[in-house]
Amino acid sequence: MREKKIIQFLILIHWTSFATTSVLDKIIPDVYPLWVGADFYTLFIKLFASLGLNDPAFATSALAVISFIEITAFVCYLFSLINLLNRKDKISEQWFYRGILFSVLLFSFFSIGDQVFGDRFTLLEHGIFWIILVVSWAVFKYNSQSDERMINFYWSKDVKIGVGVGVVLTIVTSVSILDFAGSTFSKKTDPVNGIEMFENVYKFDFPFLGDKFTMENTIKVFEKEHPELKINYIYTGPKELNTKKKTHMLLYVFTEKIY
Amino acid sequence: MEGFSSGSKTQIIGKDLIRYFILLYWALFWLLNIIDKMIGGAHFLFVGRDRFAQIERFFDSLGLEDVIYANLALALTAGLEAFALVSFVGALYHFRKQDTDTARSWFFVGIVLTLATFTYFSIGDQIFGDHFELLEHGLFWFIALLSWVIFIRINRIQVFDNFSVGKKQFLISTMVIVSLGAVTTFSIFWHNHTSFAERTGTVKGVQITENKYKIEFPFLAGSTAFENSIKEFKEKHPDLSINYIYTAPKPLRLGQSDGLIIYIQTDRIK
Repeated sequence: MREKKIIQFLILIHWTSFATTSVLDKIIPDVYPLWVGADFYTLFIKLFASLGLNDPAFATSALAVISFIEITAFVCYLFSLINLLNRKDKISEQWFYRGILFSVLLFSFFSIGDQVFGDRFTLLEHGIFWIILVVSWAVFKYNSQSDERMINFYWSKDVKIGVGVGVVLTIVTSVSILDFAGSTFSKKTDPVNGIEMFENVYKFDFPFLGDKFTMENTIKVFEKEHPELKINYIYTGPKELNTKKKTHMLLYVFTEKIY
Repeated sequence: MEGFSSGSKTQIIGKDLIRYFILLYWALFWLLNIIDKMIGGAHFLFVGRDRFAQIERFFDSLGLEDVIYANLALALTAGLEAFALVSFVGALYHFRKQDTDTARSWFFVGIVLTLATFTYFSIGDQIFGDHFELLEHGLFWFIALLSWVIFIRINRIQVFDNFSVGKKQFLISTMVIVSLGAVTTFSIFWHNHTSFAERTGTVKGVQITENKYKIEFPFLAGSTAFENSIKEFKEKHPDLSINYIYTAPKPLRLGQSDGLIIYIQTDRIK
C-alpha cells in the first residue's frame, strides 16, 4: 500500500469520526449512560439571551441550522471514506473537498458567532479547527499528487526488536497502571485525614480521585472523631493557593469548641 | 522517492537538523508520556498528570463505574504510545546511521500511530464532552500531520546556505547577548532575593467595616501564606471568630497586579 493512501485514510477517519461524534452530540442533547457530550442547547440559549433574544426559537433554530451543516459534512466525509475504500480515489477526493467546504463554512459561522457573543477563547478554538481543516485538505490533495512511495516495512531483525521493546513497554506500563489503580482507587470514597493547622482550623488535601462522596465521608468521619467541635465554616482553597500541580483540592474547616 | 540529502553541505546540515529535531521531539514526547503512565501520581522530581484519576472520572460520568474500563482504556493508550515511541526511536537510530530510507519508514509508522492515537483521544473527548481536550488533541494531530509533511518535503524548502557569521556582527551580537543576559540574570536573582519570602510570608488583614477584613495576597503566595495569615489574624484578634471567608472573584480583580484577595467576616466572641 502507498504511504499517501494511508495518510489519506487517517485524515478521513479523523474527520469522519469528528463529524460523527459532533452529530451524535446534537442528537443526544443531555447526559445519558455512555454519553456525556457538551450541552450546546444550554450554551446557545444563554448566548442568545445575552443578545437580548430570550425566545428559545432563536437558539433552537440556530442549533438546527448548524446541525444540518454538520450532518452534510459528516455525509461527505463518510462517502469520501467509502469511495477511498472502494479505490475510487477521484470521487473520494471530490466528497472530501465538499466535506471540507461545509466544515470550513461551519467554523466560519462559529467564528462570526464568537465575535458577536464576545467569546474570545472559543473564537481561538474555532479558528484553530478552521486552519486544521484547510491544511488537512492541502495535505490530502498534495500528497495524492506528489508521492507514490510504497510502505517499506519488512519483518527484519530491527523490526522484531522494535516490536519486542514495544510489547515489553506496553506490559510494564499496563502493570504500573493496574498497580497504581489498585492502590489509589479506594481514594475515590475514602475519607481524607485532616491536619490541624492551628487551633480549631483543619486542612484537608483531597486526592485527584476525590469527589463529593469523599467530601461527605470526610466530614462524617471528622464529626465522629471530634464530637467536641462544631463546624462553623468550610472554605475551599482557590486555585491561586493551589498552583502546585500535584494538589487537587484544599479544604479548610473552621470549627469551634462546644461547651 | 525523493533523496534526503540533496543540496549543498550546509543546506544538508540545516535540513538534517530540522529532521533530527522532529524525530527527537516526537521520541521525547512519547517517552515522557510513557514515563508519566509508569510512575503514576506525584513524586519527588516528577509530578506529571494523574491520568488514572482523569480517565476513571470520565468513565464514571458515562455510568461505567467499574475501574476495569479506565484500566483497559489506559492500557490501550499505553500500547499505542509505546509503539509510537519505539517507531520514533527506530527512525532516529536509522537516521543517525544515515540509512534515510529505513528512517523514513520507521518515522511513517510513528506518525501513523500518533495520528491514530490523537483521533482515538478526540473521539473520547467528544463522548466525555471535554472540548478543551478536544482542541488540544486536534492540535497535536495537526502538528503530527505537519511534522510528516515537513520531514519528507524539506528538500523542497529553501534553507539559507551560509551558517557563518561575520567577525563584526559576531562581536556585536555576543556583546548584546552577554550584556542583556547579565542584566536579566541580575534582575531575576534580585527579584528572588526580595520576593521569595512572599511564598510563605504572613499578610496582614485590613479592616474594611466593623466585622470585615481584607487580605491581599501577593502572586507568589501559596497555601502556607494563607494558613500563616489566618493564624496570625486569629492570634491578633482572639475576641473574633471567623464565620465566613469570601474569595474575590476574577471580575473584582481586573487590575493586572491583583493576586488572590479574600474578605474575612467575623463575629465577636461573647
